[in-house]
Amino acid sequence: MALWVDKYRPRELSKLDFHKEQAENLRSLCKQSDFPHLMFYGPSGAGKKTRIMCLLREMYGAGVERLRSETMTFTTPSNRKIEVMTVSSNYHLEVNPSDAGMYDRTVVIDLIKQVAQTHQIEISGQREFKVIVISEGDELTKDAQHALRRTMEKYVATCRIIISVNSTSRIIPAIRSRCLGIRVAAPNETEIVSILQSTCKREGLALPVELAKRVVDKSERNLRRALLMLEAAKVAKAPFTANQEIPDLDWQVFLRETASQIISEQTPNKLEKIRERLYELLTQGVPPNLIFRGLVEQLVNKCDMSIKAKTLEFATEYEHRMQTGAKHIFHLEAFVAQFMNIYKKFLSELIMTDDF
Amino acid sequence: MDQYPDENEEFELQYQDELELLEDLPDEFNPYDGPSTSKQAAEKQKENRAPSALKDNSRFGNSTLGSPQLSQITFGATQLEGEDAGAGSSGGGYVNRRLFGTPKGPPVGRGCSTPFQRMPAIKELENTQLTSRGFAQDKEINPAAEQLQELGLKNANKRRLERDLFGDIDDLFHESYEDPMVKKARTEEQRDHEAIDKILELRRKMRETSKTLRKDDVSRLKDLHDFKMRNLSYEIPNWPFLAIQRSDLERIYVRFHSEEYEQRQLDMISARGEVVGSLLGDAKEKIWQEAGEIVLSRTTKESDPDVTLVATNSNTEPGRLWVDKYKPRKYIDLLSDEMTNRSLLYWLKMWDKVVFGKAFHSKQEQEAVAGEGGSNNQLNSFNKRTGKFESNGGWRQRKSRQALNTNVDALGRPMQKVALLCGPPGLGKTTLAHTIARHAGYNVREINASDDRSPEAFKLAVENGTQMSSVLNADKRPNCIVLDEIDGAPRQSIEYLVKFISDGIFNKGKAKGAKAEHNILKRPIICICNDVYDPALRPLRQVAFVVSFPPIDAARLAERLVQIAYREQLKTDFGSLIALAEKSGNDVRSCISSMQFFNAQKHSLTLQDVLNNNLGQKDRHQGLFAVWDAIFRIQRPRKTLQTDASKSDEPAQVTMTNMSVTTRVRNVLDAVHSSGDYERLTQGVYENYLQQKMPDPNFTGVCDALKWFCFTDTVQHQISRQQNYSVYPYLQYGFVVWHLLFATLAWPKISFPTRGFELLQKSTNQRNIFQALCKGVTTSALGVGQGKTLLLDTVPLLKRILSPQLRSVAVQLLSPKEQQDLRHTIEVMVDLGLTFVQVKSQEGHYVFQTEPDLDALSAFPGYPGLTLPYFSRQLIAREVDLERIRRAAPKGGAPSAPAAKKKTSGTAAQLPNHLQTLKPKPISAPNMRNAPKQQLTKDFFGRITHKSTSTNSAEDAKTDAIVKSPIWYRYKEGFNNAVRKDVHIHELL
Repeated sequence: MALWVDKYRPRELSKLDFHKEQAENLRSLCKQSDFPHLMFYGPSGAGKKTRIMCLLREMYGAGVERLRSETMTFTTPSNRKIEVMTVSSNYHLEVNPSDAGMYDRTVVIDLIKQVAQTHQIEISGQREFKVIVISEGDELTKDAQHALRRTMEKYVATCRIIISVNSTSRIIPAIRSRCLGIRVAAPNETEIVSILQSTCKREGLALPVELAKRVVDKSERNLRRALLMLEAAKVAKAPFTANQEIPDLDWQVFLRETASQIISEQTPNKLEKIRERLYELLTQGVPPNLIFRGLVEQLVNKCDMSIKAKTLEFATEYEHRMQTGAKHIFHLEAFVAQFMNIYKKFLSELIMTDDF
Repeated sequence: MDQYPDENEEFELQYQDELELLEDLPDEFNPYDGPSTSKQAAEKQKENRAPSALKDNSRFGNSTLGSPQLSQITFGATQLEGEDAGAGSSGGGYVNRRLFGTPKGPPVGRGCSTPFQRMPAIKELENTQLTSRGFAQDKEINPAAEQLQELGLKNANKRRLERDLFGDIDDLFHESYEDPMVKKARTEEQRDHEAIDKILELRRKMRETSKTLRKDDVSRLKDLHDFKMRNLSYEIPNWPFLAIQRSDLERIYVRFHSEEYEQRQLDMISARGEVVGSLLGDAKEKIWQEAGEIVLSRTTKESDPDVTLVATNSNTEPGRLWVDKYKPRKYIDLLSDEMTNRSLLYWLKMWDKVVFGKAFHSKQEQEAVAGEGGSNNQLNSFNKRTGKFESNGGWRQRKSRQALNTNVDALGRPMQKVALLCGPPGLGKTTLAHTIARHAGYNVREINASDDRSPEAFKLAVENGTQMSSVLNADKRPNCIVLDEIDGAPRQSIEYLVKFISDGIFNKGKAKGAKAEHNILKRPIICICNDVYDPALRPLRQVAFVVSFPPIDAARLAERLVQIAYREQLKTDFGSLIALAEKSGNDVRSCISSMQFFNAQKHSLTLQDVLNNNLGQKDRHQGLFAVWDAIFRIQRPRKTLQTDASKSDEPAQVTMTNMSVTTRVRNVLDAVHSSGDYERLTQGVYENYLQQKMPDPNFTGVCDALKWFCFTDTVQHQISRQQNYSVYPYLQYGFVVWHLLFATLAWPKISFPTRGFELLQKSTNQRNIFQALCKGVTTSALGVGQGKTLLLDTVPLLKRILSPQLRSVAVQLLSPKEQQDLRHTIEVMVDLGLTFVQVKSQEGHYVFQTEPDLDALSAFPGYPGLTLPYFSRQLIAREVDLERIRRAAPKGGAPSAPAAKKKTSGTAAQLPNHLQTLKPKPISAPNMRNAPKQQLTKDFFGRITHKSTSTNSAEDAKTDAIVKSPIWYRYKEGFNNAVRKDVHIHELL
């Protein structure tokens, strides 16, 4: 537990730093003998998983922290072997079915059903149900989600399911209605600053407020990112100074440069170079919607007021189309070309008006 | 080809009896003037190249007969020449040499030309010489000679003639046939060499001749010398003379004789000549006659079928398909590319060693072949060349041009045991295979798609075909298996075939006697397919001799069509036939079928008919590049038929295509249809469109194009997801849009789309690295997130966190801050399951790389990864390993001890299950089986050693005895006096 994100992670509901009221609610939920399926939703780095772990600890005691990780192998109907990593304790099982990609339905059917069907061996002083934690639930395919909904009802006596998702929009309504949704909003700036400062204090470092604020800005209120950034900054330069450089995420910088290149030149040649860059981003595993978002943000920031609306309009159109297709590069390039088109028109009109 | 008997040996093997006969003869003939003719004939047959050497000699004989008054002189000159060539022979010798063409004179020049005996000019020369001699027999020979001459002019092979002349030439029909191309390719130098060889050979023979003569007729020589002395002189003699000036301006005086003297001399010689004449003259005359008869009969035979063929073709058999009717029956009729034909035939001929080879009885088969194919001379001429070319080094050069491996294995089979003919339908692959196989003397056994080709049936057919031969059939020709349409055969069958082919080699390697021999493939197999890149054919392709069929030349095809049209009395013209050929993509079958159709309709075929009709069109598979070309390029106007739907009664007009949008759209759609692989086509267009002409400067066109890309992608995605192909037809219209936007008249530069594949490959690679990273993350570091979060947020920052600034000094010398950083780095790395491993980089030096390769993840060009220097990495790698061991070591026993105690104390204070640990139980003495007798001891390595107490006591007694003796040794096993001691791993670290 060397990384700060792990080292200073709250282990109990009472020690959580923000959304304390919600923590209190969760605790009272645990006090009852039973609780429903839960769905934690909120942006990345808001502390969903931390909360889930705290909740489990509240329910089962410290034994839930004795984790072991296993790799399980499943055979799909098409005779393909897939491996899924699971992390489990005696009381719960954490699984990320999206590891299996399009075969996640098999994981849901085989693994989750199997675990759900078995009873706890030792009921004395414990809950009579186990908990299955599904992380990245919004990556589940529709098939898998449908496979899950019956399991959730049928084996409710022996197991509870906690789903952690970024957005509920990709969860089918059937699952949504079966779960108690708990929103974990990203912490606000002051909360993050105070967390960063307390962390530094425990590490024996002094953190200037300005630096903390800049870290918050850069991390987009993502607490994990903020902590990692601070740690990286610390490795680069040990006693913090207010205007110290904070490391960036490479892909974000790359995306930003791409956007500025789009602004700088609008030629087919450039479009081809942009395509190369987009390919690069896609190969590195940056999700296309993040690329889209990054591009749009940068472009809208940099372009004139008069074409902002139009840019956004096209962005929505192309991003929507991208969801219906499989070759993201087409859609990304289409958007870039469209932006180049309107930007060029705008520029030429500008020159015209300047002339007259 | 060393393993073969060379030509001479082979010849001897085959014609042993004849040779024996021949060997008997010369002894009798030797004393005579033209003695070694028959022997030389035999030799010549061996040579197969020096027919005119014989000619010279036979002419010698003839001249001896024909001009007796000079014959003496001639031979005398030769003898002199042989005897004292450099001794400055007498003037008479010189003259004679010039007069009668001894080997150094002009005939030698003709000797040079012997390799080119096929050249009609020489033939003619010889014939004229023959005829000009003015013998009585010439009259009789003349017709035959003329015919022969004619044949020679008609590219007939003279060797054929000689065979007929000299009877016993049983041509090596089954020898490989020679390609005239090679003949042409033979360099001048080679020709010269051959010529020189020939000259030397002739000279040698001549010397042999003269030697025998000299030996036997020394007195005659002397006479001859005297004769010369008497008749020729340098000084002005006292007898009547004729003065002749030699080339070196010296005058020679030749004696005039009286007529009686001449007559006397003539009588003298003819008295001897009778013997010779009966030997050679009559025999030769007879042979000439025979030859003439044979030639005559053949020419008549040849002309006859032609007439009948035309007759039968013209009107009879109305129901027969033209395709069948005009199927090429002879090699010469084949339409396909000559090189292809020849290379296949050559390959087939390479089998002769195995199939016919030493088996002498195969003569019959040859006869059969000759009889069958004998109706045309050309066929034979090909076969005849065969005999010669095997020794021809020229083939070596050919190998590089052809895919054919001319090497043969130990059994004399070609290295490539299967020929694979591939090409689009209708080019005559099957016809070629059949024709050539028959031509080469095989019985064709065809297995095609209509036959059962399950692996079992296939196996049976192949084995039967290669190892057995027909019993009932009259001609016992060996089989040649033709596997038609092999691309449709089941994969197992093809695998069996490949195994069958290579098994022969395997068995041979084992060399298990007769049984091993049994399975060896000894018959050629020809496979035919349309698509050589069929996945099922892959194993076959590697071992086979692949002959790909180039499309037939349209003009050549049209010529054939004209012939057919002529025979069938179909009114047409060359232009329309060319158009027909082009329209069908030079598909012979479809062309002929179309012609038959038109013939049945109205006995005429015009250009309009061709253009107007949909006949003969087929779905041709166009290559990807051709389709891309069609998309990015505006077609040039072409000849087409303008038809007006409203005025259908009016005759349509042939015009040029208007390049209207409609036509272009139709063209593109046609092209796209013909390929069908929309996904790859789209990718190709996508990766190339930016290099094309831009429709407008404002990107509007590009945007439109991209919209269509998006649309195509969406549709394709939906199709693949839902398997709903009802929307498939819409995919093609994107290509039309792209064509209209980007097409130009210029030649487009199109590169094969690779980016999509590269992307796929690279992202798979990345995913694998990432998965390895995910697996390595220990449970104590779950805060780094999962899936995309780990990749996007943690990995880039992790690189920074893992790059502390460390000086390149020993661990002990690092500053406290550095120590702390190092500690931290190591802990993080262990938590995440990372380590540094030494790998050899591409440049050849060693680098420490993270394992899994963190640097490769989320790496963008121009951005630094881990900045640790080599030394630090090395240091960290070591420390990480140590830390691993430390963590893996069991925690100290101290905490567990109280728990164990508690447990023993009572069950009341029972720990939760997960906190319990197993406590080692002391092994009590009664539990052990042989406890009283055996003492459980362990050696240094922990192995249990048994020692019984009884032996111990004995040893004790011994040692006592030893100790008591004045001198004693003690042998210590091992290297040191190691003391066994319990050491925990943490004490070592």
